[in-house]
Amino acid sequence: MDCSYFRERINEYVDGDMGYMEVAELQAHLSFCPDCAAELAQVGEVRGALAAWGRLELAAPPGFADRVMAAVELEPAPGSPKPFGQVVDETLEYLDERLGSIPLPGGRTVPVKNVLGWALATAAVIIGFERRHDRRSRELTPL
Amino acid sequence: MTTSNLHKWASLPDPSLAELGRAAEGDAQAFKLIVERYQGMVYSVAYNVLGNHTDAEDAAQEAFLRCYRKLPQFRGEATFSTWLFRLALTASVDYKRREKRQPEPVETPEMVAADVPQLGEGIDAATIVAALHDLPEDYRVPTVLRDVYGLPYQEIVEATGRPLGTVKVMVHRGRASLRLKLRAEGAEPGQGPAGARTRSDA
Repeated sequence: MDCSYFRERINEYVDGDMGYMEVAELQAHLSFCPDCAAELAQVGEVRGALAAWGRLELAAPPGFADRVMAAVELEPAPGSPKPFGQVVDETLEYLDERLGSIPLPGGRTVPVKNVLGWALATAAVIIGFERRHDRRSRELTPL
Repeated sequence: MTTSNLHKWASLPDPSLAELGRAAEGDAQAFKLIVERYQGMVYSVAYNVLGNHTDAEDAAQEAFLRCYRKLPQFRGEATFSTWLFRLALTASVDYKRREKRQPEPVETPEMVAADVPQLGEGIDAATIVAALHDLPEDYRVPTVLRDVYGLPYQEIVEATGRPLGTVKVMVHRGRASLRLKLRAEGAEPGQGPAGARTRSDA
Protein backbone atom coordinates (compact mmCIF):
# COMPACT_ATOMS: atom_id res chain seq x y z
CA MET A 1 0.00 0.00 0.00
CA ASP A 2 1.31 3.45 -0.87
CA CYS A 3 1.30 6.69 1.10
CA SER A 4 -2.00 7.94 -0.36
CA TYR A 5 -3.82 5.02 1.28
CA PHE A 6 -2.42 5.90 4.69
CA ARG A 7 -2.83 9.66 4.30
CA GLU A 8 -6.51 9.24 3.60
CA ARG A 9 -6.80 7.41 6.91
CA ILE A 10 -4.94 9.82 9.16
CA ASN A 11 -8.20 11.54 10.13
CA GLU A 12 -9.78 8.24 11.14
CA TYR A 13 -6.67 7.52 13.18
CA VAL A 14 -6.77 10.79 15.11
CA ASP A 15 -10.52 10.39 15.63
CA GLY A 16 -10.02 6.90 17.09
CA ASP A 17 -12.20 5.44 14.32
CA MET A 18 -9.77 2.67 13.29
CA GLY A 19 -9.67 -0.97 14.28
CA TYR A 20 -6.71 -2.46 16.13
CA MET A 21 -5.19 -4.08 13.03
CA GLU A 22 -5.55 -0.91 10.96
CA VAL A 23 -3.87 1.12 13.71
CA ALA A 24 -0.96 -1.33 13.81
CA GLU A 25 -0.65 -1.16 10.03
CA LEU A 26 -0.64 2.64 9.99
CA GLN A 27 1.82 2.89 12.87
CA ALA A 28 4.17 0.48 11.10
CA HIS A 29 4.01 2.67 7.99
CA LEU A 30 4.59 5.86 10.00
CA SER A 31 7.69 4.38 11.58
CA PHE A 32 9.52 4.39 8.26
CA CYS A 33 7.71 7.14 6.30
CA PRO A 34 8.76 10.61 7.48
CA ASP A 35 6.36 12.34 5.05
CA CYS A 36 3.28 10.60 6.44
CA ALA A 37 4.58 11.05 9.98
CA ALA A 38 4.97 14.79 9.29
CA GLU A 39 1.41 14.96 7.96
CA LEU A 40 0.10 13.24 11.07
CA ALA A 41 2.06 15.71 13.22
CA GLN A 42 0.55 18.65 11.30
CA VAL A 43 -2.99 17.34 11.73
CA GLY A 44 -2.26 16.91 15.44
CA GLU A 45 -0.91 20.44 15.65
CA VAL A 46 -4.01 21.90 13.97
CA ARG A 47 -6.29 20.00 16.32
CA GLY A 48 -4.22 21.05 19.32
CA ALA A 49 -4.36 24.71 18.27
CA LEU A 50 -8.13 24.54 17.74
CA ALA A 51 -8.69 22.92 21.14
CA ALA A 52 -6.49 25.57 22.78
CA TRP A 53 -8.50 28.27 21.00
CA GLY A 54 -11.70 26.72 22.34
CA ARG A 55 -10.41 27.19 25.90
CA LEU A 56 -10.00 30.95 25.45
CA GLU A 57 -12.83 33.11 26.66
CA LEU A 58 -13.86 35.92 24.32
CA ALA A 59 -15.20 39.14 25.77
CA ALA A 60 -18.90 39.69 25.13
CA PRO A 61 -19.61 43.09 23.51
CA PRO A 62 -20.05 46.06 25.88
CA GLY A 63 -23.62 46.28 27.18
CA PHE A 64 -24.43 42.72 26.14
CA ALA A 65 -25.77 41.66 29.55
CA ASP A 66 -28.05 44.73 29.67
CA ARG A 67 -29.46 43.92 26.21
CA VAL A 68 -30.12 40.34 27.27
CA MET A 69 -31.90 41.54 30.39
CA ALA A 70 -34.03 43.99 28.35
CA ALA A 71 -35.15 41.01 26.22
CA VAL A 72 -35.70 38.87 29.33
CA GLU A 73 -38.00 41.52 30.80
CA LEU A 74 -40.33 41.07 27.82
CA GLU A 75 -40.61 37.36 28.61
CA PRO A 76 -43.28 35.87 30.89
CA ALA A 77 -41.81 34.48 34.12
CA PRO A 78 -40.39 30.97 33.64
CA GLY A 79 -43.06 28.33 34.28
CA SER A 80 -46.01 30.73 33.81
CA PRO A 81 -48.60 30.02 31.09
CA LYS A 82 -46.98 30.67 27.75
CA PRO A 83 -48.29 32.83 24.91
CA PHE A 84 -49.63 30.80 21.96
CA GLY A 85 -46.81 31.95 19.64
CA GLN A 86 -44.16 30.77 22.07
CA VAL A 87 -45.88 27.39 22.43
CA VAL A 88 -45.80 27.02 18.63
CA ASP A 89 -42.11 28.03 18.52
CA GLU A 90 -41.19 25.61 21.28
CA THR A 91 -43.18 22.78 19.70
CA LEU A 92 -41.37 23.33 16.40
CA GLU A 93 -38.05 23.50 18.24
CA TYR A 94 -38.91 20.25 20.07
CA LEU A 95 -39.89 18.55 16.79
CA ASP A 96 -36.66 19.81 15.27
CA GLU A 97 -34.59 18.35 18.11
CA ARG A 98 -36.50 15.04 18.25
CA LEU A 99 -37.19 14.32 14.61
CA GLY A 100 -34.08 15.75 13.00
CA SER A 101 -33.81 15.97 9.25
CA ILE A 102 -34.17 13.82 6.18
CA PRO A 103 -30.97 13.64 4.12
CA LEU A 104 -31.32 14.64 0.47
CA PRO A 105 -28.93 13.98 -2.41
CA GLY A 106 -25.97 16.33 -2.43
CA GLY A 107 -25.54 16.39 1.34
CA ARG A 108 -28.50 18.74 1.92
CA THR A 109 -31.24 17.99 4.42
CA VAL A 110 -34.85 18.94 4.98
CA PRO A 111 -36.19 19.20 8.56
CA VAL A 112 -38.87 16.58 9.32
CA LYS A 113 -41.05 19.32 10.87
CA ASN A 114 -41.17 21.06 7.45
CA VAL A 115 -42.26 17.82 5.76
CA LEU A 116 -44.98 17.40 8.40
CA GLY A 117 -46.07 21.00 7.87
CA TRP A 118 -46.29 20.54 4.10
CA ALA A 119 -48.19 17.25 4.54
CA LEU A 120 -50.73 18.89 6.89
CA ALA A 121 -51.16 21.86 4.55
CA THR A 122 -51.64 19.53 1.55
CA ALA A 123 -54.15 17.41 3.50
CA ALA A 124 -56.08 20.56 4.47
CA VAL A 125 -56.23 21.71 0.84
CA ILE A 126 -57.35 18.24 -0.36
CA ILE A 127 -60.04 17.96 2.34
CA GLY A 128 -61.31 21.45 1.53
CA PHE A 129 -61.37 20.63 -2.19
CA GLU A 130 -63.24 17.34 -1.58
CA ARG A 131 -65.86 19.04 0.58
CA ARG A 132 -66.40 21.71 -2.03
CA HIS A 133 -66.70 19.04 -4.70
CA ASP A 134 -69.26 17.08 -2.60
CA ARG A 135 -71.32 20.19 -1.98
CA ARG A 136 -71.40 21.04 -5.67
CA SER A 137 -72.28 17.44 -6.53
CA ARG A 138 -75.23 17.58 -4.14
CA GLU A 139 -76.35 20.92 -5.55
CA LEU A 140 -76.26 19.59 -9.10
CA THR A 141 -77.93 16.24 -8.37
CA PRO A 142 -81.62 16.38 -9.47
CA LEU A 143 -84.03 15.58 -6.67
CA MET B 1 -7.91 12.06 21.02
CA THR B 2 -8.56 15.61 22.10
CA THR B 3 -10.12 16.00 25.50
CA SER B 4 -13.50 17.63 25.15
CA ASN B 5 -13.52 21.33 25.96
CA LEU B 6 -16.82 20.69 27.70
CA HIS B 7 -14.69 19.68 30.66
CA LYS B 8 -13.13 23.13 30.74
CA TRP B 9 -16.49 24.88 30.91
CA ALA B 10 -17.80 22.34 33.39
CA SER B 11 -15.07 23.46 35.78
CA LEU B 12 -16.63 26.94 36.09
CA PRO B 13 -18.10 27.44 39.55
CA ASP B 14 -21.85 26.87 39.24
CA PRO B 15 -24.41 29.25 40.74
CA SER B 16 -25.82 27.95 44.01
CA LEU B 17 -29.15 26.10 44.00
CA ALA B 18 -30.66 29.08 45.80
CA GLU B 19 -29.49 31.47 43.06
CA LEU B 20 -30.78 29.14 40.33
CA GLY B 21 -34.07 28.75 42.18
CA ARG B 22 -34.59 32.51 42.42
CA ALA B 23 -33.79 32.94 38.71
CA ALA B 24 -36.17 30.09 37.83
CA GLU B 25 -38.94 31.91 39.71
CA GLY B 26 -38.42 35.00 37.56
CA ASP B 27 -36.09 37.05 39.80
CA ALA B 28 -34.46 39.31 37.19
CA GLN B 29 -31.57 40.27 39.46
CA ALA B 30 -30.66 36.62 40.07
CA PHE B 31 -30.80 35.90 36.35
CA LYS B 32 -28.67 38.95 35.58
CA LEU B 33 -25.92 37.53 37.81
CA ILE B 34 -26.02 34.35 35.72
CA VAL B 35 -25.83 36.34 32.48
CA GLU B 36 -22.90 38.39 33.74
CA ARG B 37 -21.04 35.29 34.92
CA TYR B 38 -21.52 33.22 31.75
CA GLN B 39 -21.72 35.82 28.99
CA GLY B 40 -18.11 35.21 27.93
CA MET B 41 -18.62 31.46 27.59
CA VAL B 42 -21.89 31.76 25.69
CA TYR B 43 -20.57 34.50 23.43
CA SER B 44 -17.38 32.51 22.72
CA VAL B 45 -19.40 29.47 21.63
CA ALA B 46 -21.65 31.57 19.41
CA TYR B 47 -18.71 33.43 17.85
CA ASN B 48 -16.81 30.25 17.12
CA VAL B 49 -19.81 28.56 15.52
CA LEU B 50 -21.01 31.59 13.55
CA GLY B 51 -17.77 33.43 12.83
CA ASN B 52 -18.98 37.00 13.08
CA HIS B 53 -19.91 39.39 15.87
CA THR B 54 -23.39 40.39 14.68
CA ASP B 55 -24.70 36.84 14.46
CA ALA B 56 -22.80 35.78 17.59
CA GLU B 57 -24.51 38.45 19.67
CA ASP B 58 -27.97 37.49 18.36
CA ALA B 59 -27.37 33.77 18.95
CA ALA B 60 -25.87 34.35 22.41
CA GLN B 61 -28.91 36.40 23.37
CA GLU B 62 -31.19 33.64 22.08
CA ALA B 63 -29.22 31.13 24.18
CA PHE B 64 -29.83 33.16 27.34
CA LEU B 65 -33.53 33.50 26.52
CA ARG B 66 -33.79 29.73 26.11
CA CYS B 67 -31.92 29.36 29.40
CA TYR B 68 -34.42 31.68 31.11
CA ARG B 69 -37.42 29.77 29.71
CA LYS B 70 -35.99 26.35 30.51
CA LEU B 71 -34.49 27.08 33.93
CA PRO B 72 -37.38 25.40 35.79
CA GLN B 73 -36.54 22.21 33.84
CA PHE B 74 -32.88 22.22 34.96
CA ARG B 75 -32.59 19.19 37.20
CA GLY B 76 -28.86 19.23 37.86
CA GLU B 77 -28.03 16.00 36.01
CA ALA B 78 -25.11 17.90 34.46
CA THR B 79 -23.39 20.94 35.92
CA PHE B 80 -25.16 24.20 35.13
CA SER B 81 -22.26 25.41 32.98
CA THR B 82 -22.36 22.22 30.86
CA TRP B 83 -26.13 22.57 30.49
CA LEU B 84 -25.79 26.21 29.43
CA PHE B 85 -22.86 25.38 27.15
CA ARG B 86 -25.05 22.89 25.27
CA LEU B 87 -27.91 25.39 25.07
CA ALA B 88 -25.46 27.89 23.56
CA LEU B 89 -24.21 25.35 21.02
CA THR B 90 -27.75 24.37 20.01
CA ALA B 91 -28.91 27.99 19.77
CA SER B 92 -25.88 28.86 17.62
CA VAL B 93 -26.26 25.88 15.28
CA ASP B 94 -30.02 26.57 14.95
CA TYR B 95 -29.24 30.20 14.19
CA LYS B 96 -26.78 29.11 11.51
CA ARG B 97 -29.46 26.93 9.91
CA ARG B 98 -32.03 29.73 9.96
CA GLU B 99 -29.98 32.72 8.93
CA LYS B 100 -27.89 32.85 5.78
CA ARG B 101 -25.84 35.99 5.96
CA GLN B 102 -23.08 37.40 3.84
CA PRO B 103 -19.73 36.89 5.59
CA GLU B 104 -18.33 39.88 7.45
CA PRO B 105 -14.67 40.94 7.19
CA VAL B 106 -12.46 39.04 9.61
CA GLU B 107 -11.91 40.81 12.91
CA THR B 108 -10.12 39.21 15.84
CA PRO B 109 -12.40 39.32 18.88
CA GLU B 110 -11.30 40.79 22.16
CA MET B 111 -10.67 38.39 24.98
CA VAL B 112 -11.30 38.56 28.64
CA ALA B 113 -7.89 39.32 30.17
CA ALA B 114 -4.24 38.41 30.76
CA ASP B 115 -1.78 37.10 28.17
CA VAL B 116 -2.87 35.36 25.00
CA PRO B 117 -0.96 32.08 24.85
CA GLN B 118 0.57 30.72 21.66
CA LEU B 119 -1.83 28.09 20.38
CA GLY B 120 0.80 26.18 18.45
CA GLU B 121 4.10 26.75 16.68
CA GLY B 122 3.66 30.08 14.88
CA ILE B 123 -0.08 29.98 15.54
CA ASP B 124 -1.73 32.73 17.54
CA ALA B 125 -5.33 33.83 18.07
CA ALA B 126 -5.41 36.10 15.02
CA THR B 127 -4.12 33.28 12.81
CA ILE B 128 -6.77 30.87 14.06
CA VAL B 129 -9.57 33.41 13.67
CA ALA B 130 -8.48 34.18 10.10
CA ALA B 131 -8.16 30.48 9.22
CA LEU B 132 -11.61 29.64 10.64
CA HIS B 133 -13.09 32.69 8.92
CA ASP B 134 -11.82 31.45 5.54
CA LEU B 135 -13.26 27.94 5.99
CA PRO B 136 -16.09 27.16 3.59
CA GLU B 137 -19.43 27.61 5.38
CA ASP B 138 -20.32 23.92 5.23
CA TYR B 139 -17.07 22.87 6.91
CA ARG B 140 -17.01 25.43 9.69
CA VAL B 141 -19.73 24.21 12.04
CA PRO B 142 -18.79 20.49 12.06
CA THR B 143 -15.08 21.33 12.36
CA VAL B 144 -15.65 23.76 15.23
CA LEU B 145 -17.92 21.33 17.08
CA ARG B 146 -15.45 18.48 16.61
CA ASP B 147 -12.03 20.07 17.03
CA VAL B 148 -12.66 23.29 18.96
CA TYR B 149 -15.17 21.78 21.40
CA GLY B 150 -14.38 18.06 21.09
CA LEU B 151 -17.97 16.88 20.56
CA PRO B 152 -18.45 13.23 19.51
CA TYR B 153 -19.49 12.80 15.87
CA GLN B 154 -22.91 11.47 16.89
CA GLU B 155 -23.72 14.69 18.74
CA ILE B 156 -22.63 16.71 15.71
CA VAL B 157 -25.00 14.63 13.56
CA GLU B 158 -27.84 15.40 15.97
CA ALA B 159 -26.98 19.10 16.16
CA THR B 160 -26.58 19.68 12.44
CA GLY B 161 -29.12 17.16 11.12
CA ARG B 162 -26.56 15.91 8.59
CA PRO B 163 -25.68 12.25 8.01
CA LEU B 164 -22.64 10.84 9.81
CA GLY B 165 -20.65 10.23 6.61
CA THR B 166 -21.23 13.82 5.47
CA VAL B 167 -20.21 15.23 8.83
CA LYS B 168 -16.97 13.24 8.83
CA VAL B 169 -16.10 14.31 5.29
CA MET B 170 -16.74 17.96 6.24
CA VAL B 171 -14.53 17.71 9.33
CA HIS B 172 -11.74 16.01 7.36
CA ARG B 173 -11.89 18.65 4.63
CA GLY B 174 -12.09 21.40 7.21
CA ARG B 175 -8.92 20.12 8.87
CA ALA B 176 -7.13 19.87 5.53
CA SER B 177 -8.13 23.42 4.67
CA LEU B 178 -7.04 24.72 8.09
CA ARG B 179 -3.76 22.84 7.88
CA LEU B 180 -2.87 24.50 4.58
CA LYS B 181 -3.96 27.90 5.83
CA LEU B 182 -2.11 27.64 9.14
CA ARG B 183 1.05 26.37 7.48
CA ALA B 184 0.97 29.33 5.12
CA GLU B 185 0.30 31.74 7.99
CA GLY B 186 2.74 29.99 10.30
CA ALA B 187 5.69 31.43 8.38
CA GLU B 188 4.48 34.91 9.30
CA PRO B 189 2.50 34.61 12.51
CA GLY B 190 -0.07 37.37 12.98
CA GLN B 191 -0.21 39.72 15.93
CA GLY B 192 -2.35 38.26 18.69
CA PRO B 193 -4.88 40.45 20.42
CA ALA B 194 -3.91 41.81 23.80
CA GLY B 195 -5.68 40.57 26.87
CA ALA B 196 -7.04 37.07 27.02
CA ARG B 197 -7.29 34.37 29.58
CA THR B 198 -7.78 30.68 29.42
CA ARG B 199 -10.58 29.03 31.34
CA SER B 200 -8.05 27.34 33.59
CA ASP B 201 -6.81 30.75 34.69
CA ALA B 202 -10.31 31.94 35.49
